[in-house]
Amino acid sequence: MTDNFLEFRVRKRFPGFEVDCAGAFGPGVTAIFGPSGAGKTTVLNCIAGMIAPDEGEIAAGGRTLFSSAGRTVVPPEKRRFGYVFQDAALFPHKSVEDNIGYGYALTPPDEREIELGHLIDMLGLAPLMSRSVKNLSGGERQRVAVARALATSPRLLLLDEPLASLDARYTGTIIAYLKRIARELEIPMVYVSHSLSEVTALAQDTLAMENGKAVAFGPTSSVLADPAISAIADYSTLENILEVEVLESGEGSSTSKLKVGDAEFVAPATDMPPGGTVVISLRAGDIILSMDVPSRISARNIVKASVREIHDVGDRVLVYVDVGHRLTVEITENALNDLELAPGTDVYLVVKTASVRMMT
Amino acid sequence: MNYTVVLLTLQVAAVATAINVPIAIGLSWLVVKRRVRGRFLIEVIASLPLALPPVVSGYFLLLMLGRDGPVGIALRETLGVDIVFTWVAAALAAAVVSFPLLFRAVMAATETVDERLELSARSLGAGPIRVALTITLPLAYRGILAGLLLGFVRALSEFGATVVVAGNIPGRTQTLPLAIFESVQLGEDADALTLVGVSMSLAVISLLVHNWLLERTRTGR
Repeated sequence: MTDNFLEFRVRKRFPGFEVDCAGAFGPGVTAIFGPSGAGKTTVLNCIAGMIAPDEGEIAAGGRTLFSSAGRTVVPPEKRRFGYVFQDAALFPHKSVEDNIGYGYALTPPDEREIELGHLIDMLGLAPLMSRSVKNLSGGERQRVAVARALATSPRLLLLDEPLASLDARYTGTIIAYLKRIARELEIPMVYVSHSLSEVTALAQDTLAMENGKAVAFGPTSSVLADPAISAIADYSTLENILEVEVLESGEGSSTSKLKVGDAEFVAPATDMPPGGTVVISLRAGDIILSMDVPSRISARNIVKASVREIHDVGDRVLVYVDVGHRLTVEITENALNDLELAPGTDVYLVVKTASVRMMT
Repeated sequence: MNYTVVLLTLQVAAVATAINVPIAIGLSWLVVKRRVRGRFLIEVIASLPLALPPVVSGYFLLLMLGRDGPVGIALRETLGVDIVFTWVAAALAAAVVSFPLLFRAVMAATETVDERLELSARSLGAGPIRVALTITLPLAYRGILAGLLLGFVRALSEFGATVVVAGNIPGRTQTLPLAIFESVQLGEDADALTLVGVSMSLAVISLLVHNWLLERTRTGR
């Protein structure tokens, strides 16, 4: 047995479609990435016990949860996996507090590893507790759903496209919260998403699926550059989503200063006071690479970085650069050839102020 | 006006509904949520009285409960009672005939509860029975109440099955529809019209409450 937390092989037939997928996930956050209809949610629901595979095995932490050969089916309530639906699926007849308390009350006291108060603080839910779940914003609903799932001290947190139906202005906050949960509570997560940006921001490992089958698995950075997924990934949507510290808010001017890794970035002004953190998004295609320091240029950010990896993914090239924080840059093959980039080369990132989008 | 008729009618319909509600909820849960094997058969059998002439349902009940019927014999031998031609038989007749309406309404109400809410509750550690009691029932209860009223209204107006298995005995088994029938037969139009008025009032009130409940269910309280 390896240190994999979750191992599964599931097969499920639908009319005209079959999911046949295996995986072995370690601790940390693992994404299941793929276009809609790839069978991602089916795999997640099999893991959760919400649907039974026609055939296969599922084991977590050395315990068999499903085995078609051994005729084992552990029902979802006995798996202790938290599950967050795309649209939160909060209990409409209960308050925020009662939603969160539902699973907490059902968890035996000696298995409550996560303290409710800490959870409520961590997700910033204190002001919402007595509210009815009907008057919550999309972002608030999703935070309550995450808290409700975590209140049971689950051994694994499963998330099914938790940001897909949210307004863009809430997604940054939720991503920041999820990163914090993964870091502080050390709960392994399986995160289903069709968004390259979310996967890049959250998951250290990624399983890519297409047509019900796994097409690539490994560290997210290599999977995203895998030729097998260039067909299903739209790199033009790829954004670097980062939680960064505010150095200057930009009161009295229209720009703020942010600390991104070791570098300083000029960005649009923010309400967040200096010292606080904001979530920003920087489209991979909006970052210009230059071999020299450009002079007399309108772009406000010229940041020295070091090239780490270069991946040719068909007609596009993904360049991973390091500024004390890893960033993904997307350029064309021609540009790659002209610049003669190679791992280890120093480059300058040229970024317009307006290309740094505030997500909080 | 004869209050005994009204009270007896309400008593018969209330008892019939009280018998039906737990059965309808239990069967709906099995058919809609647990998807038990044979659910199609359950649906057909439970809905049969809706498709049959009530007289047939009544005759079937008479065969079961009567002097030589299996249930009739069992009741006589164990409890020493004979329920044919008593108000209990009238309540049973009303229960059988009104059951399909109640059952179908409860099934519809149960179906409207989002499965993801129930699955969320399962993932939070609740077993199927707890999910039914804490999620499905509270969310379906308005629809269930509406179904209950619909069944109650049907039970109030039951005639065919009742007359077969409970007869038409004034003061004992004579409910509103039977009393109206008798008044009409005897040509006592004034009595008939009074009873018709009572019958109409009960029906209108029940239907108004029923529609109000359904409307509230649709708009989410």
